[in-house]
Amino acid sequence: MSEVPPILQIQKLEVRTHARLLLRNITLSIFEGEIFGLIGPSGAGKSTLLRSLNRLNDLLPGLYVKGDVLLRGQSVYARDTDVNSIRTRIGMLFQQPVIFPTTIRENVLFGAKRVLALGKVEQTVRVESALRESSLWDEVKDRLQQPASALSVGQQQRLCLARALAVQPEVLLMDEPTSALDPRSTAAIEELLLRLKTRHTIVIVTHNITQARRVTNSLAFVAIQDGAGEILEHGATKALLSAPKNPILADYLTHSS
Amino acid sequence: MTRALSWILSLTALASLVLLVGVFTWQSSVIWQRDGIAYVTGHSWFYRQQQFGAFSLLYGSIVVSSMALLLAGPLGLGAALFIAEYLPQKTRLVLKSLIELLAGIPSVVYGLLGILLLRGWVYETFERFEPLSGDTLLTAGILLAIMLLPTVVSLSEDALRAVPASQRRAARALGLTRAETIWSVCLPQARRGITSAFLLALGRSLGETVAIFLVVGRQDNNVPHSWLSPAPLLQAGQTLTSKLGGAETNIAYGDPLHWSAIMGLGLILLILTGAATLLGTVRRERNA
Amino acid sequence: MRKAKDLLLGTLLGACLLATLAIVGGLVFAIVHRGWPAISVSFFTEQIRLVGADGGIFWNLIGTGILLVTALLASAPCAVSLALLERVWLRSPQLRRLLRLALYTINGLPSIVFGIFGFIVFVQWCGWGKSWLAGGLVLAMSMLPTVTIVLLERIAAIPTRYVEAAAALGLNRTQIVWAVLMRQSWGGLISGSLLGLARAAGETAPIMFTATIFAGATFPRAVVESPVLTLSYHIFILAQDSFAPAVGTKLWGAALVLLGLVFSFTLAALPARLRQHEESNV
Repeated sequence: MSEVPPILQIQKLEVRTHARLLLRNITLSIFEGEIFGLIGPSGAGKSTLLRSLNRLNDLLPGLYVKGDVLLRGQSVYARDTDVNSIRTRIGMLFQQPVIFPTTIRENVLFGAKRVLALGKVEQTVRVESALRESSLWDEVKDRLQQPASALSVGQQQRLCLARALAVQPEVLLMDEPTSALDPRSTAAIEELLLRLKTRHTIVIVTHNITQARRVTNSLAFVAIQDGAGEILEHGATKALLSAPKNPILADYLTHSS
Repeated sequence: MTRALSWILSLTALASLVLLVGVFTWQSSVIWQRDGIAYVTGHSWFYRQQQFGAFSLLYGSIVVSSMALLLAGPLGLGAALFIAEYLPQKTRLVLKSLIELLAGIPSVVYGLLGILLLRGWVYETFERFEPLSGDTLLTAGILLAIMLLPTVVSLSEDALRAVPASQRRAARALGLTRAETIWSVCLPQARRGITSAFLLALGRSLGETVAIFLVVGRQDNNVPHSWLSPAPLLQAGQTLTSKLGGAETNIAYGDPLHWSAIMGLGLILLILTGAATLLGTVRRERNA
Repeated sequence: MRKAKDLLLGTLLGACLLATLAIVGGLVFAIVHRGWPAISVSFFTEQIRLVGADGGIFWNLIGTGILLVTALLASAPCAVSLALLERVWLRSPQLRRLLRLALYTINGLPSIVFGIFGFIVFVQWCGWGKSWLAGGLVLAMSMLPTVTIVLLERIAAIPTRYVEAAAALGLNRTQIVWAVLMRQSWGGLISGSLLGLARAAGETAPIMFTATIFAGATFPRAVVESPVLTLSYHIFILAQDSFAPAVGTKLWGAALVLLGLVFSFTLAALPARLRQHEESNV
């Protein structure tokens, strides 16, 4: 079944600060075209794990990473790897939408323009395709030159998605992308995720078990064990949620539904 | 009781400020009534002949200050960018404290350094332009630039820090390099704060007295005949502040006309520095 | 290409920082290097002789101290009043903003302007002549905004829940001011005053017409015609004709002492400022 090699392979990843271990011995495979969910209690290190995948943790001094992540077999943490090109190939969406103080159009092109060196015509095409992919085109097509800050928070999050999609990443990381949104915007994003799955691989951190059940194919449960975050159980979403083997996971599921 | 006392003391403090502006306006009224705008545009200042043209002083102040900003601005901004965007938090705090410490070096100490070190260097370096001595507008400009450096670094760094970290993170997550993030996120968003920093530095440089006094040469009536040649910069000159700090202030008191001409310089200085500082402060408010 | 640009900019900016530190740090080094030989016990305990070529700076230190203490005593109550005015007594946001703008603007006014103002008001109108009190008051004016602003920021940083808790107990505003606001912000008054003193200690322009002469003054016994010697004016005068090598070393020594004084004030205020810095970053 898994003769296709995984698109992301996390190998014995360990993250620590100077004082303590945050994540211990994380090994996971994520396959192309799936939505992979990370669930677990807060403070267990889900976000840290997510940010290790595109080396965004590099921006925080004092975090040390051991082990490796392979993106289509290529080492993310090797010395000669170009971090910026890794980040271009692995896009990211944050908890709070981060909008640059400029127009809607410029926001979509913010990365694409610089990273892919698009020409004028290509830029226009890319804006439309990215906004269509994130289901925002119909709402903003007449006001591309207006400031992005005028959009609602839900629209802003979809704009961030369009911005990430515009650089055509191979994997998308999402850090609780709906936690700042109301139920309607959340439903819109979830619907979007299911549609994107056909062409993208998504790794999503979520607090919400119902959301995990709705959108993900596979899940990993991250929780603190002996003072550091570990993966206690992982597998297909259905099996994992209906018949958890790990007692801590079972406990977590009863208390958070 | 507490309330009344704090109102009284506050009003005393504020009243003395109003008095300060009032005194300069009122005491300079004689010269404004006699010469009007010619007082500002007039090129000659000979107090024995009762000629009071402030233009050469204004020219000196502006030339010295712009030179200082031109030199200190880019260098200081560059240093601030490195501190804010490249260094980890701890190093940043250490450097920032160090820079703020250096910003406090008294101007008379800078003046001393200017006299004993910089003046000779300027004289030798620009020998082929045949300056009469090392006391020139250029010397004052360079010295002032060195004085302003820590202030420019510290204020620009504050402005850059005001850009939220989430903005940088989002740009880096798209795969932008650090340089691209600086150009497309940090600098545009800190623009207001940076211009504010430069305005505040301009206010400071226009008002700086003692250091300039010691190296500018204090030569009246130096107004360039040709605006493009560098030669006037290598001559001794006079600024509003070096004039006000000089012996003439003592001499003038008692002669209503001469005194009001001196006070007029003070008023011009008040307006220029006040305007630069106020503009800078308002811009910084909006940046935050 | 993108990578090369990234590297280039980083190198350039790093060079800017190094150049800045080298220039300003070099100046400090120059002063320490040249001034150190002059430092001895007698340099601090003797008075000036031979127009600065011999003796020490005893009365200059005393004079500077007198001016600073006067300035501190005059500015601290005003700073507390102004800070309370902005934080507590004034209700209108427009007026509060106006007051803040005024403070920042005064902070940027040139010290020579304060000097001439003091010359007119104290030296001439009040008829004090050159007097330590005139100098102290002028320095108080020039340091007042610094002290007030630091104190103001400190009071503003006090969480509102403390004020609310005190008000819920039935304390009136004056009681809240003393029990909550001032009690939690006196550190701000101290660090603000230290920063103000650091600035005042090095000032020359405000006191040269109002308070200080080069030689011949000791401890003032009155207000009228009672000038003092100061460090900054000593350096200012000697720097203008400092060609005798003997004067040279003494001069650098005086500059080193002044620098040490200013730096100690700033450094003493540093821990409190760093703490606030970190709090504001959270």
